[in-house]
Amino acid sequence: MSPLALAWRNLVRQRRRTLLMGIVVAFGFAAFALAGGFIAQSFEGLREGTIRSVGQLQAVDRRAVASAEETTLQFGIPNAVRARALVAADPAVSSVLPRIDFVGLASNGSKSVPYLGVGVDPEPEAAATGAREMVVSGSYLSGDGGEGVLLGTGLAAALGAKAGDRITLMATTPDGSLNAVDALVRGLVDVRIKELNDRYVAAGTPLVSRLLQTEGTVSKLVIFLKPRVDEAAAAARIRAALTGAGYPVVVRGWRELALFYEQVKLLYVGIFGFVGTVLVVIVILSAAIVMTMAVVERTREIGTVRALGTRPSGVLRLFLAEGVLIALLGCAAGAVFALLVRAGLNAWGFTLPPPPGGTHGDPIHVQVYPLAYAAGFVAMLLTMTIASYFPARRAARLSIVEALAHV
Amino acid sequence: MRAHMGVPLIDARDLVRTYAMGGATEVFAVRGVSLSVDAGEFVALQGPSGSGKTTLLNLLGLLDRPDSGALTVAGVDASGLSENARADMRRDRFGFVFQTFNLIPVLSARENVEYPMAIAGRPASERKARAEDLLSTVGLAGKAGVRPDLLSGGQRQRVAIARALANEPAVVFADEPTANLDSHTADGILELMRRLCDASGVAFLFATHDPRVVEQARRVVALHDGRIESDAVKG
Repeated sequence: MSPLALAWRNLVRQRRRTLLMGIVVAFGFAAFALAGGFIAQSFEGLREGTIRSVGQLQAVDRRAVASAEETTLQFGIPNAVRARALVAADPAVSSVLPRIDFVGLASNGSKSVPYLGVGVDPEPEAAATGAREMVVSGSYLSGDGGEGVLLGTGLAAALGAKAGDRITLMATTPDGSLNAVDALVRGLVDVRIKELNDRYVAAGTPLVSRLLQTEGTVSKLVIFLKPRVDEAAAAARIRAALTGAGYPVVVRGWRELALFYEQVKLLYVGIFGFVGTVLVVIVILSAAIVMTMAVVERTREIGTVRALGTRPSGVLRLFLAEGVLIALLGCAAGAVFALLVRAGLNAWGFTLPPPPGGTHGDPIHVQVYPLAYAAGFVAMLLTMTIASYFPARRAARLSIVEALAHV
Repeated sequence: MRAHMGVPLIDARDLVRTYAMGGATEVFAVRGVSLSVDAGEFVALQGPSGSGKTTLLNLLGLLDRPDSGALTVAGVDASGLSENARADMRRDRFGFVFQTFNLIPVLSARENVEYPMAIAGRPASERKARAEDLLSTVGLAGKAGVRPDLLSGGQRQRVAIARALANEPAVVFADEPTANLDSHTADGILELMRRLCDASGVAFLFATHDPRVVEQARRVVALHDGRIESDAVKG
């Protein structure tokens, strides 16, 4: 009769207590698994959103990193077509998007509103970033953009503009003069951040270049890589290629560009770490109470097996085995429970409230995250071992005579 | 007192055991008891409640440690043994029968008998065969797979006796083995133990105030206030 077999018999005998403890462990495990899946989903969403916004890599003039531009495109990348071709030639690159950042005033003839503009190559931009999905009214830019522009919903409201209306974009050129172009509102977009919606303008690079009078110069090259390529190695190659061709650029990765990603990640880890710690403490305390009750109730039995020649370590192993078995059973039940809850949540399509400053919340989609299941298993196993250890040690140290006389 | 030839199975010298009874008050449960037991003896420790017979049985069975005095088991000084060594000695040399049977409730009759053999590391096939043989010896051949809660008091005590004999002990300690049994069943249990004593040469040492046990015993040690009052071998 091995300790595990004897432990199993005792668990079956004390069904109610085993069930109670098993439920505690199962909930603990499921909380780990579901929270882990939710965190994984959040990180994945955050990562994808960040990359969609800033690309995996960005090539910019190195001066733009050290200081702010005094005039538009002061630190731009000239002859962008050549630079783009150089980057696109790298085997790791899947697409290269030119972008021109500019600011100015948008006018409907009677009212002018400041804007933050971005010049893009419409089709590659839409293919790489899903920009077309942001359109809530009208259509996306076609071809090279022509005279079309996309307005953020807030900016459109301020101007009283809708798809098909004409507006005037004004901006300062690099030589400091003011220029203006007429543009056709193709569509309205929701960029999911309220403050940006109130200022957002997107247009094709030819229109922006005409506005800024900077033919062939862009602010940056936003680079997307093929799956599973070495980001750092690709960045080094691209920088070498551009520098060798006379472009004084730096190439930065998305983590470096989106500092908030690591901050949000740390915040999540902190919050869930704290909740996880509380959870583990609750499980430990519950399990310790239940195991202590088991030791008290079985005091005479402990005295008997000790009298028959079981060493103290044998008694310790017996109770530890019970804790471990409950952990195994609880984790198995917890895994099933977590999968059911996950299926329910995902099917329900529950949407989280929007983050601060956001316009839309994301629907909950809890992933099956194997690492979270493994972490839940290890946490519950350790928890039950710790919770069982002290009552088990107490059992092992009981005086045989007192244990046999226990009523 | 008795004179002994050779090394006794159990030899206790001047055993003292006290218990604290609140504050600094100490109660002497056993006061300087010396006692020897030889192989094959059938001994009753007799006395009124509080006379120290259970305490003495616990000391001799290595379930408790004396405050002072010496104890040897088959010539081995048990005083300085570690907890593990004492456990091993109980497992290999002693058997125990308790007033309340103390069977492990989650194990069947056969598994209860197997338990001491299992912790001694004996192979499963050997354990099973010996357990069934012992159950047959105590008259429970058909009850091997039955859990204790489905057995009568007498049957449980028979399982306990079979368990006590599992590792071929030199001595079986029995604390009030008939106290929870009706007189007919108690007679049967006593007869069984006496028969096993005769057949196997195992010594039986009882703590009892049951006159029937005293009547069956071949040697009666009477205790009073923690001291041996008399130690008589029946003719």
